[in-house]
Amino acid sequence: MSNVEATTETRTASRWERLFDRSTRELLVGLLFAAPYLVLFAVFLLYPLLKGLYMSLHEWNFLEPSKSTYVGLENYARLLEDPAFWNALWNTLEFVGMTVPLIVGLSLVLALGLNKELKGSRLLQFVYFSPYVLTVSVVGIIWAQMFAQGGVGTQYFGWLFSGSPLNSKFWAMPVIVITTVWWQAGFYFAVLLAARQNVPERLYEAARLDGAGPWRMFRDITLPHMKNALLFVVIASTIFQFQVFGQPYLMTKGGPVGNTETLVYYLYELGFQTRELGFGAAVGYTLLLILVGVSVLNYVLVGGNDE
Amino acid sequence: MSNADATQSLTERVTDRDTLYRIGLYVVMYGLAIAFFVPYWRMFQLSVTPMSVLSQGGFHWIPPEVTLAVWQRYLVDEPIIYQWAFNTLTIASITTAIVLLVDSMIAFSITRLDWPGQGLILGVIMASFMIPGYVNIIPLYTLINDLGLMNSYWAIILPFAAGPLGVFLLVQFFRDIPEELEEAARLDGFSSLRIYARIILPLSTPILTALGLFVFIWSWNQFLWPLIVLNDDALYTLPVGVVTLRDVNALAPNVIMTSLALASLPLFIIFLLFQDKLISSVQMQAGTG
Repeated sequence: MSNVEATTETRTASRWERLFDRSTRELLVGLLFAAPYLVLFAVFLLYPLLKGLYMSLHEWNFLEPSKSTYVGLENYARLLEDPAFWNALWNTLEFVGMTVPLIVGLSLVLALGLNKELKGSRLLQFVYFSPYVLTVSVVGIIWAQMFAQGGVGTQYFGWLFSGSPLNSKFWAMPVIVITTVWWQAGFYFAVLLAARQNVPERLYEAARLDGAGPWRMFRDITLPHMKNALLFVVIASTIFQFQVFGQPYLMTKGGPVGNTETLVYYLYELGFQTRELGFGAAVGYTLLLILVGVSVLNYVLVGGNDE
Repeated sequence: MSNADATQSLTERVTDRDTLYRIGLYVVMYGLAIAFFVPYWRMFQLSVTPMSVLSQGGFHWIPPEVTLAVWQRYLVDEPIIYQWAFNTLTIASITTAIVLLVDSMIAFSITRLDWPGQGLILGVIMASFMIPGYVNIIPLYTLINDLGLMNSYWAIILPFAAGPLGVFLLVQFFRDIPEELEEAARLDGFSSLRIYARIILPLSTPILTALGLFVFIWSWNQFLWPLIVLNDDALYTLPVGVVTLRDVNALAPNVIMTSLALASLPLFIIFLLFQDKLISSVQMQAGTG
């Protein structure tokens, strides 16, 4: 066999072989295959990441970057004293705090319900999942219309608020939350449905013979088996919702009086409206640290023992 | 005898409870489906309601009059939507092609070839999972500006073509392809390139389809980044374009809703065609958690 290998190798790769030894060849071929991705990765991901750190330490001049001045950690110090930053952080936490539990709860209900044999389950699955294929601008504009004067929401829930809830300091954020839940729940529903369908049915049969009720079966069989999927849903939706931008941008312009201005929205304004790129980069870096912290914390708290 | 009675009444009670439970389940699941459907209905219904009805105010689930005038306007008279759809399609297709190509190449290199430093590189790529796309937009913007790519398709395609998700999925999949196939091919004198193109890629069609669908939809729906790097309305993508239509038609909800419906149609058609594949592409990602 080694004989055959040797002859084919000399036949197909003799010139190669004369130039390089085997391990150099492997390295070259390996790098050739890896290079296109690595170049894109280095240029468009790693480089901006480092440049963001560099920019955040400067008073950045967009038109003439060479005239930027080094200010050390001043941008970060300013950020800690900036009420707009704290407002954006608070609004983001409020948004995530409402959205994630609703998304997880609703998608779990949809997944457990649809796991049963229902008539029309394909249609139901289509309806629940479909908002996920819409772009945020379509979603935001439809829902802004639903809660504008004369919309469905104001028609039926008008007794809760006077005028459009999108102009209300109290109701603007909940409306954005509902919009987001409608848009995103289907995605997580699909994940949880697959996880539910992977729980072996015989476990339930055995439990039924032992006289276990629905609640006990849910607690002792369904939940433990869906733990990893639920964990994914919680972490992924937290990270994703933390970066909310489109909904407040389209529905409330961050208002009323900054009540729906989120961190990425604030970042967008700093970078692309007031052009405070150095300070904006510091906000971006801080957001990155927060999100890395959230991921690590999640992992340590619940994910550490899932192997 | 009495024993049989008892069993019978027990089964009756169980069936009663089951029936009630099933009815409750149908009510909840269909009730939620109707609630989910309301925004679609509202979009469609407003798009066919004539301005004369809208300006009278009042609320209708079913408009007293119906017109296709606005649909005609966007489909025939002012076909700017086609241009935007074409832009979006071009961007999403090129992005998908690039991602599938470069991700499968590096995943092949990491799993099927043997060279020093693979583990480290895979580790760095995986760590970048932690970096959410939006936190980098300011330095990325200056980079795109320096490269002279503002207002071009490439400004949208390149920055997000090197995400870690595809690499992760493909590395996992390629690892499970049996070694024997490759050894046999090497004995037949296949080069690495031929093994990649003739053996690994064909065997990976399902995962490549799922990844491709996901990337396509994700790219098609991008909003913040195109909003930042495109300033020319002939270059807008659908998600950005419909926002500008909303701004100029603020008082005509039927016009706005028609543009939204048109912007949603392409992906809805894709969804109808590939429902199962698309849903499995979403489910596949949970494996990355």
